[in-house]
Amino acid sequence: MKKKVFAVFLVLVMVLAFGACAPSEVPQEEPEVLGTVILATTTSTKDSGLLDYILDDFTAATGWEVDVISVGSGEAMAMGENGEADVLLVHSPAAEKAFVEAGHADEAGRVLVMYNDFVVIGSMEDPAGVLANAGADAKGAFQAIYENEVTFISRGDNSGTHAKEKSVWTALSLEPAGEWYVEAAAGMGAVIQMANEKLGYTLADRATWYANRDSTDLQIVCEKDPSGVLNNQYACICVNPEKNAFIKVEGAKAFQEWIVSKEAQALIAEFGVEEFGAPLFTPNAE
Amino acid sequence: MNEIAQGVQEAMGLIFAGDPEIFEIVGLSLFVSTLSVAISTAMGIPLGVLLGTHQFRGKGIIVRITYTFMSLPPVIAGLFVFLILMRRGPLGHLQLNYTPTAMIIAQVCLVTPIIMGLTYNLVKEKAPTIRRLAITLGAQGSSVLWLMIYEMRVGLTTALVSGFGRAISEVGAVMIVGGNIKGKTRVMTTYITELKTMGDYSRAIAVGIILLIIAFLITTVLYNFQERESR
Amino acid sequence: MEVLFQDLTRDYVERRVLDIPQGRIQAGSRTAIVGANGAGKSTLLNIIAGLDTGHGGRVFYGNEKKPFSQVSSQITMVFQKPYLITTTVEKNIAFPMKIRGFSQEEREKRVSTLCDDLNLTDLRKQKSWKLSGGETQKVALARALGFGPGLLLLDEPTANVDPATTGEIEQMLLKINKEKNTTLLFVTHNLVQAKRVCNRIMFLHRGRIIEEGEMSQVLTQPREGLTRQFIAGELIW
Repeated sequence: MKKKVFAVFLVLVMVLAFGACAPSEVPQEEPEVLGTVILATTTSTKDSGLLDYILDDFTAATGWEVDVISVGSGEAMAMGENGEADVLLVHSPAAEKAFVEAGHADEAGRVLVMYNDFVVIGSMEDPAGVLANAGADAKGAFQAIYENEVTFISRGDNSGTHAKEKSVWTALSLEPAGEWYVEAAAGMGAVIQMANEKLGYTLADRATWYANRDSTDLQIVCEKDPSGVLNNQYACICVNPEKNAFIKVEGAKAFQEWIVSKEAQALIAEFGVEEFGAPLFTPNAE
Repeated sequence: MNEIAQGVQEAMGLIFAGDPEIFEIVGLSLFVSTLSVAISTAMGIPLGVLLGTHQFRGKGIIVRITYTFMSLPPVIAGLFVFLILMRRGPLGHLQLNYTPTAMIIAQVCLVTPIIMGLTYNLVKEKAPTIRRLAITLGAQGSSVLWLMIYEMRVGLTTALVSGFGRAISEVGAVMIVGGNIKGKTRVMTTYITELKTMGDYSRAIAVGIILLIIAFLITTVLYNFQERESR
Repeated sequence: MEVLFQDLTRDYVERRVLDIPQGRIQAGSRTAIVGANGAGKSTLLNIIAGLDTGHGGRVFYGNEKKPFSQVSSQITMVFQKPYLITTTVEKNIAFPMKIRGFSQEEREKRVSTLCDDLNLTDLRKQKSWKLSGGETQKVALARALGFGPGLLLLDEPTANVDPATTGEIEQMLLKINKEKNTTLLFVTHNLVQAKRVCNRIMFLHRGRIIEEGEMSQVLTQPREGLTRQFIAGELIW
């Protein structure tokens, strides 16, 4: 009996020791924590690492902590609609405008933050010949992939990336279907890996692509389409405070105001330069 | 293959260098799962004993439901708890989503049926004998319960370890209600998933190794206990 | 402790297995309950032990004719196949005393004495699941005796026990009856053993008490024909 008690005690000590000796990030200054804001954002934003880079500065500057819930733009906006998040950082302009028009945002509506661009990536082999024939022509790239029926992984999750992809198919009046067209319903990072495993093509935002590039055998086959169709605009939206009593109105507003501030925009501009040689995002707050 | 070797190396590095982020994640995993098992035990054992020692109408249905919930898919538990704790859900005012508390609640939903079901099975077999013994030796009330628990201690401990194994290794429930938030609700399983989607395979393997080591340690403690009690 | 039964009946699936309008176990006696298979001996014992509450009629205990609930802590039973708690011998023996609040020293004293009497001293720290059949039964008996029961019920306690151990157990029973006036109620198939150990005998047949009285009297001069048949070994059912 005694030995059993001792064993249990030992296990408890281990547990407590682990919990205790696990210091959270030691903050430099400790402003009084005002509360926690729920930021619903996209997996591409999170997977790029940008938020990890800038959010500590936000907390230090304002005293608000941020819980980052990363899902597709679709679910992020659904969360906004349901009042389950306080502020959104998404990149799906058409859906965002509809969101604001439906009255789900506060008076500030949709506030531009930054943009990056999308790239079409594919295997080194490039069986559809995209790089050779449509290296800077997004519609041409998609057309080639469609005609050759080479594997294409779609985000399939109503995310901003997915919306962009669908808009290109629509512009071509094409409806992709068949075994070659894979609807993944997964985040950007996961989809890139899937493309890697299946040696297929996909549409990715540059930031997440850079972050994952080295662990794949893929290459960019189409980028910088001069028509701007591959541009990816990010916006920040505060959820309408009237949704429910739990919306952190001040915190959400603090985030929105901070992310378009000079300091935050400067941080965004330098993110990625060290690691990739070029910034991942271009700040364009007005 | 390269990744696995790298992963093992990285695991050693992480453990011995005492990477604080890893410690925090491992600590939270242990905390959430251990507390969940403790709560589940406090509820599951008495309920299992009650179920095993009493006859009542509808007992068959309750037993069947308990058995079914023993293999409740974690994502369902997670989804269910998430919907209840949503801001516009019935318990939204508690604002518990995306907190370790929610994760514990979800895991309790998963583990309690396991402990209850396994206890019920043990008790079903042993209860009549122990009851007879209790009466003839003059034990009453809680003494009988403690005697029963003592006599079933090996089986019960195994049930606890089963429950713990389930809790610490599941990812669906804690991902849905916790959201894998850095520094707040990130546990080993959700972290491994995240690392994989970010392409950081070697670190994912490293954390996986740590998870396996912990499982092994717990199993060893159980094994020793079983050996001691039957030698 | 005296035991009285009144209008005692027990039915199993529409069959009446016990039917005793009046019955009495004398205080301080060593009474053997004998009978053919299915006579109701174990049923009667279980009812007296408080293990069977589905009976009709009433059972009273002691001079003050108390119901079971008030005397339950003074009654105990030893079974043909004893169940020992999965711990050491001495902890088993001490258990009933522990739950009755005996002090550590008192428990130690009594455990010592009982182990001496039953030759269990070397086995005190042994784990209960490692004992032989005879040793197990001795431990069960010691456990039943530690707290000093007023009434000890035994259901064929030595049926699976070797002769030497049987002797030790019988000696112990005689001893506690003599020294502490513990009432013994002993179900057995073995008339020779009954005669050795007990001073009174109760013969049951098909749920009824056919004859009851002083041992040598009943055995040598049974009043009933059935009793005679039983003693002669001719009674099967």
